Amino acid sequence: MIEDNQGVQYDYVVGEEKQLNELIKGPDIMPLLKSAVNAGASSAALVNSAGETLFRYGDTDREAGLTVKKPVYLEGETAGHIIINGHSDRKHLLEAIGELMFNAVKIILQSNFKTLLATETHKTVVYQSYEELIETNRKLKLSEGKYRELASSLEKQVQERTEELNRAHARLLHQEKLVSVGQLAAGVAHEINNPLGFISSNINTLNQYVLKLKEMLSFYHAAFDKKGPSGECVEESKEKWKRLKLDFVFKDVDDLIKESLDGAQRVKKIVSDLKGFSHIDEDHESDADINAEIDRTLNVLTHEIPQEVEIVKDYGKLPSFSCNPAHICQAFFNIILNALQAGAKGLTLRIATRSANNMIAIHFSDNGPGIPESIRNRIFEPFFTTKEVGKGTGMGLNVTFEIITSYRGAIEVESEAGKGTTFSIMLPLPQKVENV
Amino acid sequence: MIEYDEFENKMVLKLVYYGPALSGKTTNLLSLHDILDQDGRGDLTVLDTKDDRTIFFDLLPFFLTAPSGLKIKLKVFTVPGQVKHDATRKAVLQRADGVAFIADSQLSEETNNSESFSNLEKNLEFVGLDIEKLPLVIQFNKRDLTNIINEDDITRIWEPTGIPVVLSSALAGHGVVETFRRLVELTYGHIDRKYLLGANHGLDKNMFMQKLTGGTVNDAGFKDNRHIAAEY
Ligand SMILES: Nc1nc2c(ncn2[C@@H]2O[C@H](COP(=O)(O)OP(=O)(O)O)[C@@H](O)[C@H]2O)c(=O)[nH]1
Ligand SMILES: [Mg+2]
Repeated sequence: MIEDNQGVQYDYVVGEEKQLNELIKGPDIMPLLKSAVNAGASSAALVNSAGETLFRYGDTDREAGLTVKKPVYLEGETAGHIIINGHSDRKHLLEAIGELMFNAVKIILQSNFKTLLATETHKTVVYQSYEELIETNRKLKLSEGKYRELASSLEKQVQERTEELNRAHARLLHQEKLVSVGQLAAGVAHEINNPLGFISSNINTLNQYVLKLKEMLSFYHAAFDKKGPSGECVEESKEKWKRLKLDFVFKDVDDLIKESLDGAQRVKKIVSDLKGFSHIDEDHESDADINAEIDRTLNVLTHEIPQEVEIVKDYGKLPSFSCNPAHICQAFFNIILNALQAGAKGLTLRIATRSANNMIAIHFSDNGPGIPESIRNRIFEPFFTTKEVGKGTGMGLNVTFEIITSYRGAIEVESEAGKGTTFSIMLPLPQKVENV
Repeated sequence: MIEYDEFENKMVLKLVYYGPALSGKTTNLLSLHDILDQDGRGDLTVLDTKDDRTIFFDLLPFFLTAPSGLKIKLKVFTVPGQVKHDATRKAVLQRADGVAFIADSQLSEETNNSESFSNLEKNLEFVGLDIEKLPLVIQFNKRDLTNIINEDDITRIWEPTGIPVVLSSALAGHGVVETFRRLVELTYGHIDRKYLLGANHGLDKNMFMQKLTGGTVNDAGFKDNRHIAAEY
């Protein structure tokens, strides 16, 4: 032991090794272990590096099931472990508890380590009053207040984490479903494309043939009328022409062929919209015309739009917007579908687009029942739905929100009960570089 | 040496970063922590309170295991620079295995540097360590600033002492690993003489240095300190 000329003794060496049980005491750890059990673990314990249990809470008999083990670091070395036991069907929950315990114990240890070092240094070497020591420790404690909160709110946090995990999981499933629906649609579209190609082309050829047949038939018909070989044959021909309603057939065959060609053309457009919508061919950014993308989305939704619904388009002239058109279509799709499904009789959906202040603004206004104020700020949350269980995924508007914000855009909703709802989307255009 | 536990087969070493207040000791450890591989070191504990600078010390621990199974822990400390914290400095300095003296290169700091160095000499004697034998490295920090002591003067003053000098800018991370490496090298020699790390534990100097400072890009120190460093 060394003593200096002021009588301070130096039997204390800064840097001596510390044990886990010197740094973590019952009042620090027990509330945490308790919270872990309250949150759904069957037991929780802290063991040292030799595997000896320092603290434990919970049912020790039922050790079967799942064990989550998290290391406890002291000065960077593994000084022990946190052991969480529980039912094997609570894997997510136990992992979440383990993760939170790991962080909480880390904060406690850091804070106690600092306090211990400070106190030891104080007691043995620093000339400061007891009050000053208290004050120093109070300051050190300020930064550690967090862990006390942690202990008391661990349960709540575990719950939140579990819900979060479940949501993330469900969301993943939903995304997978979206992807497979898209792929299916694109696949079907592709399959339709081929027969559709020869249907159109055959009908066109058929049209040519029919024209020729008609021409020839008309020629015979006229010839017979004038100077047929015998009266009997002329009468028979006239009679047959009439019975077969060939005047009508001649007229109608043109309409039929024209309608069929139109129909094929429409199928072709639907297929191309479907393909465009799922963007099977181009999964990358391109310069999109937002107005055209809205039209494309409306086309895909045709069958969902009842006769009596009126769609009013009020499109402004827009600059092109660099985006993945599939995403943008998906964003519009969910908003439009939402308006349609709110389902009021005599619904009018007004879609207005404008470009101003380096922004593209898109407004979807309906005269539906409106969104009650109580849930207005929740509609963009994942899995929030007002539809019956099993009907809506509750993902629609959240997906829209995610897509719009991914383009650094904003989405707002204004609504008045009984009067209608307006969704406004603002998409920022890239900053123009001025030439100097 | 903080402790050598034959039964546990564990050795705990201590290195101390000494120097005047605000010369950059904490910054050195922060940079070391950032530059050196996560593998083999612990977290940095900075013992400061909100409204004060370092009133106690900072601690950055390193670990390695010798081929013999000997576990070696190396704890790197800083001391508080202010004059009034002399008692804490003594406590930290106790049983040190090596010291890096971090000087502030600014001309305005010359007096503080020399007072702090005298304080180091005095305190080493007090805790029973021989400055002639103790591994010691000098770092002239803040070379990125203007109005700093020039290299020729540094060489003229320190060459005769035989103490290695490294020029650095701890803030930019230059010369930080070089300082640590030189200190670790000298420390190895010092410990090996007594504990036969090479002969009894299969841990030669290269392995020791590789394990402690490995996983880094070669850090050549600040500008051309090479010729200074090479002379010792
Ligand atoms: N310009 C410059 N500033 C530095 C350098 N190293 C440290 N500093 C600054 O000097 C001040 C004191 O540093 P700090 O590491 O806290 O000093 P300590 O009291 O010795 O621990 C801080 O503001 C650092 O950012 C350096 O290499 N260059
Ligand atoms: Mg400091």
